[in-house]
Amino acid sequence: MWLVLQNVMALEFHSRKKGFFGSSRARLQVLFLLSWLGLVVVIVRLYDVQVIKYHRYLALAQDNVEKVVPIPPLRGEITDRNGVVLVHNGPDFAVFETPYEVKDPRRELAWLSEDLGIPEKILRNSLNRLEGVLPPHVPVPLKTDLSMAQVGRVNMDLYRLPGFFIQVMPKRIYPPDGLGSHLLGYVGSFTPADLKGSFYRHLPPGTGIGKSGIEKEYDSVLQGVPGSIRHLVDSHGRMIKSLKNDPPKEGRSLRLTIDVRLQMTAERFLGDRRGAVVALDPENGEVLALVSHPSYDSGELSQAMKSDRWNQLIHAPEHPLTNRAIQGLYPPGSVFKIVTTMAGLMEHKLDPDKPFSCGGTFRVGSVVFHDWKRGGHGELHLHRAIEQSCDIYFYTLGMKLGPEPIAHYARLFGLGSRTGIDLPAELSGTVPDRAWKKKFLHAPWYPGETPPMAIGQGFLTVTPIEMARLMGAVAMNGHMAVPHLVMNDKSMGYVRPKSQQAPDIPIPEENFAIVKKGLRDVVAAPHGTGHPVNLAFFEIAGKTGTAQVVSNRGKMKNVKRPKADSWFVGFGPFDNPKIVVAVLIENGGDGGDVAGPVAREVFRMYYITHLTQGKTGSRGIAS
Amino acid sequence: MVGSQLYFYITKLHPVLIIVLCSILAVDLVTLYSVAPYLALKQGMWQVIGLFVSWGVLLVPYPLLLKNARWVYGFVLALLAVVFLVGHVSHGARRWIGVGSFQVQPSEFMILALVLFLTWLVCPRKKYDPLTMKVFIGGLIATAIPALLIAKQPDLGTAFELMIIFSVMIFLKGIPSKIVTITLLGAVAFFPVGWQLFWNHLHEFQKDRIRAFIDPSSDPSGLGYHTIQSIVAVGSGGWLGQGLSGATQVRYRFLPGAHTDFVFAVFTEEWGFIGALFFLGLISYLIWFGFQTALECRDLQGFYLASGVTGFLLFSFLINALMVLGILPVVGVPMPLMSYGGSAMIVSLASLALLMNVRLYSKK
Repeated sequence: MWLVLQNVMALEFHSRKKGFFGSSRARLQVLFLLSWLGLVVVIVRLYDVQVIKYHRYLALAQDNVEKVVPIPPLRGEITDRNGVVLVHNGPDFAVFETPYEVKDPRRELAWLSEDLGIPEKILRNSLNRLEGVLPPHVPVPLKTDLSMAQVGRVNMDLYRLPGFFIQVMPKRIYPPDGLGSHLLGYVGSFTPADLKGSFYRHLPPGTGIGKSGIEKEYDSVLQGVPGSIRHLVDSHGRMIKSLKNDPPKEGRSLRLTIDVRLQMTAERFLGDRRGAVVALDPENGEVLALVSHPSYDSGELSQAMKSDRWNQLIHAPEHPLTNRAIQGLYPPGSVFKIVTTMAGLMEHKLDPDKPFSCGGTFRVGSVVFHDWKRGGHGELHLHRAIEQSCDIYFYTLGMKLGPEPIAHYARLFGLGSRTGIDLPAELSGTVPDRAWKKKFLHAPWYPGETPPMAIGQGFLTVTPIEMARLMGAVAMNGHMAVPHLVMNDKSMGYVRPKSQQAPDIPIPEENFAIVKKGLRDVVAAPHGTGHPVNLAFFEIAGKTGTAQVVSNRGKMKNVKRPKADSWFVGFGPFDNPKIVVAVLIENGGDGGDVAGPVAREVFRMYYITHLTQGKTGSRGIAS
Repeated sequence: MVGSQLYFYITKLHPVLIIVLCSILAVDLVTLYSVAPYLALKQGMWQVIGLFVSWGVLLVPYPLLLKNARWVYGFVLALLAVVFLVGHVSHGARRWIGVGSFQVQPSEFMILALVLFLTWLVCPRKKYDPLTMKVFIGGLIATAIPALLIAKQPDLGTAFELMIIFSVMIFLKGIPSKIVTITLLGAVAFFPVGWQLFWNHLHEFQKDRIRAFIDPSSDPSGLGYHTIQSIVAVGSGGWLGQGLSGATQVRYRFLPGAHTDFVFAVFTEEWGFIGALFFLGLISYLIWFGFQTALECRDLQGFYLASGVTGFLLFSFLINALMVLGILPVVGVPMPLMSYGGSAMIVSLASLALLMNVRLYSKK
């Protein structure tokens, strides 16, 4: 007590003697006041951070420790009509990055590039692609399809790669040798543009989405619903415990109408030639085979590929990515004579039994048209004209009709409009007439343009699937089915909604009978243009086409004067049509000799697989 | 002898100070225990050693200490030079010297040596006289040499603390306008060269820290990571804190340097705003005690010594707290009495002992 008093006295005593301390004492008091100010700053900031912004920082702290790893769903499988698996899933190891959790992006990326043996630039590029599109806490796949050695090296290095992890993802496995690649399509990781559609918003990055073919058309069916695992993690991303497991929902399987045996046969006999084959059931429109060549490897396209390989594919002169069966536009050639005949019969401009003399030339004004056969066919009537594909006969008929009736019946048979097959980006051909030419070419119709149109040349273009549908309508006496690729079968999961059925073509049956009789002899008669298709045990009818190529399509530099496109479109059996086959071979030459054998082999395989079961042994099949 | 000493302490020392000090030391141990139990054990050992050193400091009257300040300063400077040449390297820094597992950081001891030396330099006689250019330059050199050696270790924080001590001492002495003018002119003239020298001699992580401070959110996972994680830790504490087991930032190691520079963030995450206020109360008492000691001292040398020590404690606490709260850049100034580290703990306790020393031995 005494001491305290003494101190107080001393303080007063000193404060009077200012000179002894100079201004130091006053300066210390300034410092003392400043220290209170510092304390106030600390407390205000603490209040700001801890009380006012508490919820925000609490959420950030929870974000730190809780990691949600999305699990992509397993895509549905795709089988053919008999349950043969065409597309299924296999395991794929991928390294993912969660941008928010990476502490030192530069060094970590360098380490990762060393582990993977991939240049840093490539890794960075694949990162930049989705940057700014996704929030930084969403994991992004950096590299898929890792080898076991790469997985091992990255796993050993994960301790210094916070924000990176390895995950097994499903990988699409496609049939070998590009079987059905155009039809099946491929999958790929989604792009920023895809994210705009609400459907893909909830998908974890790295999930494959359909990019073409069935994979694209039925993506919402095959996709499934992604799941997730919620982990508690430490700062190195090490899992401490699992909090919640929400398994993904597998996508539904699709059963196609394709018969893989027909598909393989068609691909095999088409070989290396550019072209397309379509086989379908004329009664219900089920597509049994759909081939386009050259093709690609769906598996290769479904993985991250180098840009130069992609460029090579899209710039290749053969256009391997084009599905010729539904996107290729070709003049139909003589196959179109079916339409001209129908128009003639319906417009009563044609008497099937009236003899006609073919001299090998036909003159319109100053233009002279030649028959494909030098010297002409001599005397014949409609039946023989179809059988031997006499051009002069149909030039004459066409001139009698004019372009409008021909175009009208062509459209009735579905030409010039999409078939509505369940594949993306189908194109339709062109059916020209006076109005069309005025609208698109701003020119009048010249009389000399009618004869070529009557034999399927000129401005007329079709796709192979259109021709298959046309032949189906002929085979079924006017019943035209919409081609489709997915089975209407409840037991296999997905049921395709019924597409609008085109009304039957209003042409009397006897007219069909006349044409079909001619088509039968195209194949059956020894002089028929389609005789190479003839099978002893299977009644096939059809029409060949050898269409002059007018466009400089393909830009094939090694071909000076391009050969004609070869067509064969036919159906069988004659009395009870079960299958229509349309074959197109680009620049193949003679329709019957080139396209015909391919169609024949598809018919033969159909006969073996569908018409002989339980009836005949394989002995009766050799021809 | 010992008995009379004991009586001396009990009657003369502030019992409140003893309670406050013990509370802070306990808080320190609990906080470090929550980071890692073995840290608390080792820190407890250093606390005991520090208390013994403090006892020793109390036994020597401060005038005697100041008389030998040159030799103390010279000895520590020599140790720094030895560290510079052959020091023990740990975590990429050459800071330690010692035998086996007993390693000390001479840079920390330089703080007290410099306070003593500057007191002796600024106030050689026991009477106030204005600051001369010679003394100013001498003090500057005496600060700059160890500061440069320490900055090269690299330990920017401690070097920074030395400069603060020099500034406080000179500020208190009162700077004649002539020196202010010359210093300002010199600083302006040499700034471009000086800044270049300074910046070029910084290590990349030090540059990164300064860059990160300018905009910490520009790269949340990169440079500003320390600052952001620290603020997240503090902020998630809320009013009452997350408790020892619920503090996820610390527990799952998101907070870097949780036991050293960011121990205050750990404490606030665990104990919340209320706990932080309690802790700040304890610290404020210590600072107030330091100021009181200086202001009550009738002896000029004691005044400067107490002021220097208080300045060191005040600025270390403030800078560390503001760094943890993201107001100042991450310069690496540890929090006295709290951050893990043997040398720092000994120096913190010894500086408090120096304050006591001034109270005990100043002329009445």
